Amino acid sequence: MGSQYGLKFAVHLVTNHFGKIVAKVCETLFRKGPLSLGEIIRCTELTPEQVKNSLLVLVQHNCVQAYVPADQFRDEEESTVTVEYLALFDNVIHRLRFPKFLEIAKRQLDDECEKVLDGLLRDGRLTLKQMVERAVQGKENPGAIEAVVRGSFHKLLKAHYVERCPAPEPVVSTLIKAEPAPRKRGSKMAKKFEAPETIEQRVMEAALPGEAIRFAVIEYTGGNADREANSDDTIMVNVGDNSGGIANEGSILWRANFEEFIRHLRHKLLIENERKRLDDGAATILSAILDATKNVEKKVKIEKSVPLSLDSIFTEVTKNEYGRTMTIDRVRASLVQLGCPQRNLDDSYSIDLKNIVEMARNEEVESIVLKRFGGDAYRIFRLLSKSNCFLETDKIAELAIVDKKEAPRLLYKLWKDNYLHMEKLVVTAAKQSRFMLWKVNKPVLWEYVLDEMYHAALNLSLRLAFEQEKDEDLLHVSRDKLTPTDKSGEVNSVQKRYLRLRDVLFLMGSSLMKLDDALMLFHDF
Amino acid sequence: MNRLQGSSSSKRKRELALVSDTLTDGERILYNLILSKRDMGIWSGDMKRETNLPDHMVKKSLKLLQSKGMIKEVVNIQNKARKHYMAAQFEPSKEITGGDWYSEGSLDKDLINVLKNVCVKYISRQKVVTRDGVLDWSRKSGVITAEVSNQQIEEILRALVLDDEIIEVKSTGYGEFENVPVGRVCYKCKSKSGVRGEPKDGAMSSIPCGVCPRINFCTPDGIVSPRTCVYYQKWLDF
Repeated sequence: MGSQYGLKFAVHLVTNHFGKIVAKVCETLFRKGPLSLGEIIRCTELTPEQVKNSLLVLVQHNCVQAYVPADQFRDEEESTVTVEYLALFDNVIHRLRFPKFLEIAKRQLDDECEKVLDGLLRDGRLTLKQMVERAVQGKENPGAIEAVVRGSFHKLLKAHYVERCPAPEPVVSTLIKAEPAPRKRGSKMAKKFEAPETIEQRVMEAALPGEAIRFAVIEYTGGNADREANSDDTIMVNVGDNSGGIANEGSILWRANFEEFIRHLRHKLLIENERKRLDDGAATILSAILDATKNVEKKVKIEKSVPLSLDSIFTEVTKNEYGRTMTIDRVRASLVQLGCPQRNLDDSYSIDLKNIVEMARNEEVESIVLKRFGGDAYRIFRLLSKSNCFLETDKIAELAIVDKKEAPRLLYKLWKDNYLHMEKLVVTAAKQSRFMLWKVNKPVLWEYVLDEMYHAALNLSLRLAFEQEKDEDLLHVSRDKLTPTDKSGEVNSVQKRYLRLRDVLFLMGSSLMKLDDALMLFHDF
Repeated sequence: MNRLQGSSSSKRKRELALVSDTLTDGERILYNLILSKRDMGIWSGDMKRETNLPDHMVKKSLKLLQSKGMIKEVVNIQNKARKHYMAAQFEPSKEITGGDWYSEGSLDKDLINVLKNVCVKYISRQKVVTRDGVLDWSRKSGVITAEVSNQQIEEILRALVLDDEIIEVKSTGYGEFENVPVGRVCYKCKSKSGVRGEPKDGAMSSIPCGVCPRINFCTPDGIVSPRTCVYYQKWLDF
């Protein structure tokens, strides 16, 4: 679930897209967690019809997932099944980045795929039949258009940018399992700490279609069906006759697979960051590794790349024009620079992707510190960030070459704004001495910065709306009067306002998209 | 670390002994107290407290001892406003001066900036240079005077890494590191032009909210809000 301003920003997005009533239902679910229909009606004080319609809209657009808590089945006398509704914070925020998803489809596939995806994003979920109907409406050559739509759909499916919609009301156990008793202390076999699964994760896991059918066009019926796999894992199932297939086209719902788009954007960030830090060669190698293994990544936020042998890496690299100029020694040297100094036990190589993401996060936070607090504070912050341990005030001043009288003031400012963690140490020897110790607590800081970013995104959106409202009258002015046509270059006051508004909207829109990259860096990557 | 100014020759000691014989009791008490503090020195207020001598006597005695060249006033970085005294034969310790980068109790920012600029220019011309390479060049080129120690150059390099002007890398022995043994620490310039102070472009720092000192007070409908924000007004004032 999101942070304080994360939730506010999510509610703002829902309000903009679906109106205040739907937003009220969504906000209630965010604040109170999963609720049944009756509970939502009581909390929102809306009519049952308003709540039902709102839930239908939210489910249609993948912002809410319904499920049945398994605990209610413990009581055998219970005859009614209560469905609960869970608001999906991530999916709501993804609505901000639909233009990015469309751009990916356009660049990686083609314009027609972009159009099909656009329909899915606008309508939330569609059957293949609905996609075709949408495209042919009012057009002259429906047959040809239908073929294009089908072809584009299959391309999107093959790339995993489209997936089958989840189960409508899966049964999910909401009990938190007790942790097994720990083994003896210090044991090398001690289990690595993993945060318990959230209810959102459990529900989504239960709702997700199995891998066999998630990207399959036709329902897998087993038994007499002949199964043949395409070159990748898009499965086409022949069921003898096509009647089942055509019927399914009108019943199987499809939606955009946000996970794959986020994976694509994560890979793009990793590659571009290494290109800036190292060189084109390193970026080419990382790109080759990630391309080759993206279909076997178990989740988006993998810490290390899927292991590959040097030969496999080299084969992938040489598929690229630039990669063909590289020798195997060059590839090996770049792997070291990328953060993979030695092979795994099975002779494979794995890049530390988590480290690249951390470096990007550090850079983003450091740029805030530099702009907000100045160069001396920037050096102090970077020193503490790199040290990853407590340092005493005078030691910090000495290592960062900051005036010893200035250092305490800067440290206090950073601490007051939650960028540093501070502890006091009292040492009693010949006389009592007090020391202030400082540290950057990255997990806590990153959550705080993320919340500030959601706050900033909300502010940008509100200000954008305000600027548009201010010049709302320009919407009613005909376009030819808005654009300067006078050869002397002089503009009248209406045209000035229009040009200003155009520049303002462009600046704020592009700033919001850039800020969204940072939101993904801290939340999704 | 205690360092004695000039020589600890017997001549100087005899001179001091002769002068000391001419001191009054109060002056001698004060001088011995100051002498006992060696290179840390002592504040006049602490002297009054420890000797219980009246204020006017302490002031008069300190003036006399100074005029005789037996003690000197030094600036204490911990508290520049206080009068801090030390026996003439001692050099103030780092706790008092602040260290090599301090002059008259203040950080010598001009010297630090000049050294930083010079190092960045050199490293950007070399593309990749080892730590020893920088130290060698600083000695041989004559650009940096002998008064600046090797340790100070290393501290400047560390500060430049913290400034993100240069990056510290380990040689792979390949490509630009061809002539550098594998594993050796090297420095590369971050900015392509070798000019310091190029702006860093984060997403948050590019918008008013990212650097706003009032963001914690800002709410959608509050007194401080995006609609009424003066920083936004300025940002959008093309």
